[in-house]
This record gives sequence, structure tokens and C-alpha cells, in this order.
Amino acid sequence: MNEGKKGFDRRKFIKTAGISGGVLALAGSAGAGLASGKHKESYTGWGRTAYGKDQFFNRKPFIVNNPTYEKVGESRRITYIEDLFKRNGELSRLLFAREGEVPLWTFEDGVEKLPEPLRAYYLEHPEALGEFRKSMQKSREQEENWKKYKHKYLLADAWSSAHASAIQGQGAFPPQPRGVPEESDFRGVNKEILQLKSPPHGSSLIKQITHSFGASLVGIARVKEDWVYQGYLRGVGKDEYEVPGHWKYAVVIAVPHEWDSMYANPTYGTSYDAYSKLRFIAGKLEVFLKEIGYAARSHVPPTSYEIAMPPLAIDAGLGEQGRHGVLITPELGANTRLAAVTTNMPLEPDKPIDIGIKKFCSKCKICAEECPGGAISFTDKPENVIRGYKRWNIDADKCFTIWNSVAASHARGCRVCLAVCPYSRKNNWIHKIVREVDPRDPTGIFSSAMLAMQKKFFSYPGGQEYLPPPDGDNLTFGEAPDWLLTEEWFNI
Amino acid sequence: MFPNAPILGPLYWIIMGVIYSVNLAGFYYRTKDSKIQMTWWKWLFSVLWFIGINVVIAGGFTLFGENEMRAGLYFTGLFGIIFIILGVGLWRLLNTR
Repeated sequence: MNEGKKGFDRRKFIKTAGISGGVLALAGSAGAGLASGKHKESYTGWGRTAYGKDQFFNRKPFIVNNPTYEKVGESRRITYIEDLFKRNGELSRLLFAREGEVPLWTFEDGVEKLPEPLRAYYLEHPEALGEFRKSMQKSREQEENWKKYKHKYLLADAWSSAHASAIQGQGAFPPQPRGVPEESDFRGVNKEILQLKSPPHGSSLIKQITHSFGASLVGIARVKEDWVYQGYLRGVGKDEYEVPGHWKYAVVIAVPHEWDSMYANPTYGTSYDAYSKLRFIAGKLEVFLKEIGYAARSHVPPTSYEIAMPPLAIDAGLGEQGRHGVLITPELGANTRLAAVTTNMPLEPDKPIDIGIKKFCSKCKICAEECPGGAISFTDKPENVIRGYKRWNIDADKCFTIWNSVAASHARGCRVCLAVCPYSRKNNWIHKIVREVDPRDPTGIFSSAMLAMQKKFFSYPGGQEYLPPPDGDNLTFGEAPDWLLTEEWFNI
Repeated sequence: MFPNAPILGPLYWIIMGVIYSVNLAGFYYRTKDSKIQMTWWKWLFSVLWFIGINVVIAGGFTLFGENEMRAGLYFTGLFGIIFIILGVGLWRLLNTR
């Protein structure tokens, strides 16, 4: 080995090359790591979507028979007035008169003068009415503030408006249902139904089709009465009604927000990018189902729902509900937005999963610490019983006040809780290790270690800092992408 | 890694494989020349240490790539120091007879 020719020592050469190789290997690891961290391909939901490759997490080991929500008492359906947007909409119609008319109600009239069911609701939740009044005040301040920020956030606002344009007004897709569900959901249904081979065939087909329309995640659930709103039905109006018999199954669809803008919440992100995607996916699926002979109705954001989405998505095995009330999925974390299509097509429902999110959320609390409105519960365990189910309570009214406080042109959301959630991470190797190991560790030591690193290593501005001065400094959780920075492209 | 030239991805890892092999061969001759008696567990610890330090570097740089500079620095700093200490300990262990 050592007998080199004319001064060339092969052994010495390999030893030296070995050291150089070690240095090069470390440099190679650094380069691979950097590329992996930077790469947009590891943003789930914006690449391999159409082929179902976004739904990469193997749920089988985590399937459970009982969903991870906890039923502790007699349950009931959600009344439409419990929905923040429906409630605020009703109240706004009374408060803000059309031109030439007088307001039908003012705060000075008091709760007793409100029409039912608003009166009953606000008598039971007087703090909610106070919060709404505060949000109106904040909305006026927001409008005033926008004069200062409209140039800085021009691109973000324009980007949001562009996404919103697809879902507003007469041309919105999918069109709103007209008439009772027994007519509306069957309108345009192909009368010639071919014999489906089996419900599993139906599920598999519908999942592939839904992925091809752009859905990152698809799951199927049986429609449970507890999740269906009571008191209002699109196409019919306000009334008490039974859950339509043909709403047998729900195809639940999830997509993420564009990741870079989502991390740059509250000021650079928008809800409308995911909302418009969901509306197109659900609307197309509705048409597809009707074309192959089945009744269908899409339930889409922001407010065109008859069913509460997070518990339905839990039943469909997509994920679990987090402390912040948002569905957390293994692939998308809390960057998960939902829609569904109800149908009578025979399908095989998926089973719920338990990947230990409730346990993690009980330790984490980052979303509660970072929420600018203090709308997220700090209790260790879920303590609120809501319509018969125990969970962490989200104060939707306080959340809405923040929508009206951040530096935006109007109340178009905050989404800081989505951005700061440790589950909302890329699909690269380092997060993949955490994603796969954490739910398999029964001791919880791994998740505690990861959480400790999360809290010590990463920067969190702190709740108030997301607000405009004087309360905060308009900070964002992550850096805004350059394509949303007005100053990169325009002289301001 | 190279979305616009998929052939470069496998090539990159082939080159990395060659580099790792050369590194391993160099280490083998170094231990021979230093009269270090390598046993199976010494090889195991050495390889694990080398994989570990590579993972630390790759992890830190992944976080840099994600624009998480602070997290990347803390990650590389903390685990880098741990692995350097482990490396010194391992070298002393390798030299025991």
C-alpha cells in the first residue's frame, strides 16, 4: 500500500483526500440543507397537488374509532346566530341604514329592543355586544390608519382583493343554492346513473377527482347532525329545519394559504387565496357529482356553509382541532382551510386519527401567547363545554376586533395563530422527522424537546407587536416575500 | 434540489457518496497509521458521529434557508458544540487500547 512511485504516496494521498472529503461532505450537507430550507417545492399544496401527492402522511397507524373531540353532555346543533358572521351581519343590517332610511336599532336602544334571536343571544352574552361595539370603533380607526399604510401594504391589499374578486357578487362560483335542498341539490343531476362498483370505489374515485381539481387533502365523513347549523338554510332563509336526508356523506377538502404570505401575517396575508381555491374545487366537485348522477351541495368559505367544518374534517380523518380552534393536519399544520360537498353518492367514510395534537396543544400555548386579541384560551386542558363537546374556547368576537385593528384596508383577518403554530411547517426533511417521530412517541419527551427548541430558538414578536402604533409596531411573524413588498417595486 | 434540471439531484448525491467514501477510506488509513485498534463499536460510534455532525450542519442550514436565522444559529451553535465535545471524547476513546 505504501510503495509510492517517484514521490507519489497513495496512502498519504487518500489520507489527505479523506480530510478534504470530510470538509467537502460537511459543505455538501450545508448546501443540501440550505437548498432544502429555501426550496418552494417543500411548501405543501403548491406542487404535486393534482396527483394526491400532498396527502403524504400515512394515517393508518393513527386511526382511532372515537374522534378526538370529547362529548361530555347532551349535544345540540349550532344555531346560525352563534356564527360570528351571521350574527354580525344581522346586527349590521339593523345598525347601518341604507341611504334615506333610519337605523332600525342603535346601541343606545339597549339589548331589549333587539329582535329575536339577537336579543336572546346578547342577553346571554352581553360581553359579545360590547366587543362588537369595540370592533366598530376599531374599524373607524382602521379606516383612518389606512391612509398612513395604504402605500406600504398596497401590493398585499391588491393581492387580497384579486383573490376576493372571484368569490364576491353575482358572478361568484359556485352559485348559491336556490330553493329547498331537495330541489336545489338535485338541479341538473344526470338521470342516468351507472351502477357504482362499490362505496370504496366511489371514495377512491371522488378523492382522485377532488385532488385533480386542486385539493391538497381530501377525506370523507358521514354527515353528523350535531355539525349542521340550525335556523338558517341557504336558498330558503331563516327557519327551523331537519338535516336533509340526502346529505349522507361529506367530501371534506383542505388547501393551504400560500405559505410565504401566510407567515407574514397579519398584514401581508389574506384568507381569500385559500377561500377562492376552495370555492373552485368544491364548486367543480358539485358539478362533477351531479353529472354522474348524484345530488350535491358545496359548503364553502367565507360564509356559505350549512355545516361546521372542523369537526366534520376530524370525522373525515384529516386532522385534529388545535387550541386555536383551527384544524391541524399532519401535512399542512394549522395552515389548513376547509370546504365540503355533501352528497348522496354511496361512499366509504374515512376514520378519524389521533396524532396527539390535543396533548401537544396543552403544553404549547404559543398561539395563545401570540394572539393580539387574547382570544385564545390559556387553560392547560380544554375546559369549555360547547354544545355538549369539551374544547378550548375561542372568543370569536375578540378575534374579530383584531381583524378591525391590524393595518389593513378593512377587516380582512389576522391569521397570526396559523402562522405561529409549530405544526405549520414545510415538508422538508427536518420537519418530516418531527412530523413522523412525534406522534409515535408515547412518552411525549420528543414533543417536549421540540417545543422547548421552538420556544428558545425561534423569534416570536409577542401579541401586541402585530398591531399598529401606538399599541404595537405592525410586525409580522415571518418576513414578507419580496413580491408583496411595495417598496421593492415602486417609489413610495 | 434542482427542480429545473432533475438529473442534477441524483448526480449531486452520487458525488456526495464518492466524497463520503474517500473520507471513510482516509479515516481508515489514518487509524491504521496512528496504530488505533478499531473494533466494530468504535466504527459504529465514528460513523454515527460523522452522520450526526452532518445532520447538525444540514439542519442549521435548512433553518437558514427557511429564513429562520436565529433558529439556525442556535441549532448549529448548540448541537455543534455538543458534537465537537462528543468528537473530542470519541477521539480519546478511539485511542484507548
